Amino acid sequence: MHVLIVEDEVSLANELVHFLSTEHYKCDWADTGRDASEKIAVNLYDFILLDLGLPDYNGLDLLAEAKKLEHDPGIIILTARGSLEDRIHGLGLGADDYLPKPFSLLELQARMQAVVRRKFKVKTSVIPFHNFELDTETRKVGHNGKEIALTKKEFDLLHYLVLHKNRILTRLQLTEHIWGNILEDDYDSNYIDVHIKNLRKKLSAFASTDWLETVRGVGYRLTI
Amino acid sequence: MRLQSKLTLFSAASKITILLLLVLLLPPLIHKVALRNTDNRLKEKKDRVLQIIEEQGIEQFISEGDNGAYGSYNLLKEEFISIEEVNPGTAADTIENSLRKVENEVVEYRVLSLTFEMVGGETYLLEIGRSLATIREGGDTLQKYALYFLVAVVLLTVFIDLAFSKIILQPFTLIVKRLQRIGHPGTFKPQQLRTSTDDFIYLNNTINSMMGQIQHAFLKEKEFIGNVSHELLTPISILQTRLENLLSDPTMPEHLLEKLVDNQKTLHRLKSIIQALLLISRIENEQYLKNEPVNIKQLAEDVVEEIAERAEVRDISLEMDLKDTWVLKEANYSLLFTMLFNVVNNAIKYNRNQGKILVSGQQVKDTYELCITDTGVGIPEEQVPHIFSRFKRLHAPDGESHGLGLPIVQTVAQFHKLKLTVNSVLNQGTTFCFSFPKA
Repeated sequence: MHVLIVEDEVSLANELVHFLSTEHYKCDWADTGRDASEKIAVNLYDFILLDLGLPDYNGLDLLAEAKKLEHDPGIIILTARGSLEDRIHGLGLGADDYLPKPFSLLELQARMQAVVRRKFKVKTSVIPFHNFELDTETRKVGHNGKEIALTKKEFDLLHYLVLHKNRILTRLQLTEHIWGNILEDDYDSNYIDVHIKNLRKKLSAFASTDWLETVRGVGYRLTI
Repeated sequence: MRLQSKLTLFSAASKITILLLLVLLLPPLIHKVALRNTDNRLKEKKDRVLQIIEEQGIEQFISEGDNGAYGSYNLLKEEFISIEEVNPGTAADTIENSLRKVENEVVEYRVLSLTFEMVGGETYLLEIGRSLATIREGGDTLQKYALYFLVAVVLLTVFIDLAFSKIILQPFTLIVKRLQRIGHPGTFKPQQLRTSTDDFIYLNNTINSMMGQIQHAFLKEKEFIGNVSHELLTPISILQTRLENLLSDPTMPEHLLEKLVDNQKTLHRLKSIIQALLLISRIENEQYLKNEPVNIKQLAEDVVEEIAERAEVRDISLEMDLKDTWVLKEANYSLLFTMLFNVVNNAIKYNRNQGKILVSGQQVKDTYELCITDTGVGIPEEQVPHIFSRFKRLHAPDGESHGLGLPIVQTVAQFHKLKLTVNSVLNQGTTFCFSFPKA
């Protein structure tokens, strides 16, 4: 998958490139709108990560340029301004998603995968793991065809862990994914522990859940 | 009361007062005038009678055998003239009211009495009278017409005043109307006023310039919020992604992972504070839209569904009792969700295990009351007024709270013009009530 990162902040671009490369994305980086405009004209990108606040270019103009491309790449807007108008404009102009800074790299990857599924019409929505199956479309989890009743939050947690398999997810990252859209006074990681406990209880009725590891003092990891 | 109504009422009242005063004063005045006119006429007649006597002699009136007296009155006894001889030395020159008997009928007359001496040495008394009834009759008629005239004048001037003040005050009414249309200084558009009244032009210009200043301040604030947002969130963004990359580095030793998690928490706290402050500022800067109808019952159900598992974890019963349907026509769903979520979350956080939370809603007169009651630790009475102050942490058992949850709640409530009341009894629980206005 070929990704163009349009970001004028060098350090952030470096982190994005680093992360996406380890996730086997092929990354290009443009630090100005002009550079980005040239790059999208020449290369066929599958994905464009677009920072709207560019020094030399109106990010929304660049978005419009990208939308004219025939092969229709997935576009996610990244912005630190986060104003309502930006969001409405961005999505109105045809961006596939909008992620306000600061965002979690895991969240970015989850959103990118969702866009890919939608855009490139991935036929199967079922992800298998350890004899379990997780259907992202119907939001159901089963074991060898037998359905397991999970709450909404439990499903979201499991989905996120499966999506980022073999990676340690901290309680904070999980909390942010589950409750991130609500700005609350504080975060309480205990809720994550309780959800994981319940999840283990429900799943272990069908098979061992050794693959859902607790990393002491840090978080959880789903190994495959 | 509107200025125009006041002016019209005042003008009508002052005119009616003058009218009443005239009605009271007019009769004696007219009577006096009528009397004076009568007196003048009596004097004229006296002069003419005296002239006739001088030209033609007293014999014209009085001859021998007449008992030295002459009398004449007209058919209706309205007037009389009498001349009689009186004892020499008697003197009179008066005009006064007196009762006279004419043909067995007593009539009140205005009588001019005058004595004069002829060449022969005889003294005569001349009396000319006019009946007072006749005089009064004339006065009454005059008074009646004067009254009609005055009423007509008052009515006419009141209507003219009304129309005139309406025309004169029209620019003022326009200014008031324009101001009524403004919900927020941001929506104000300066407009010129076409009038010849300097005061209104001054008023309009002053309002325009003051609104301009407010708008300018609002724009400046908006710019500032945008800058703060960009300049602070960008480095946080870099730190966050860097920490995440380090966390997923397989070569990272385990004891350092825990340190990274600590860093991640601290960074999260910094991020939350900035985002909470930005949210409050953006709401106050009117950067959020109120463009969707929100069903309060649905909203409460959504929040409860989202948060129910947190209550379950602590074995707290979370009950709902929402009676009537209520729709807030112009609202922002996600802001209201955040508001209610924070209140219910507090109700869970500061509750005791196996405690209770009741989310109840019902119509009270023409408003809707949504109340969240918990059986938690409560708030000391003297602290209640301060719970909405920023960074005021009353009880933060986990030390992670940034103290901006309730300020957000209050800001969202104000943005939607909700009345927010808090009742709390220490160690028994707290009730937050939102009063939704009629849409």
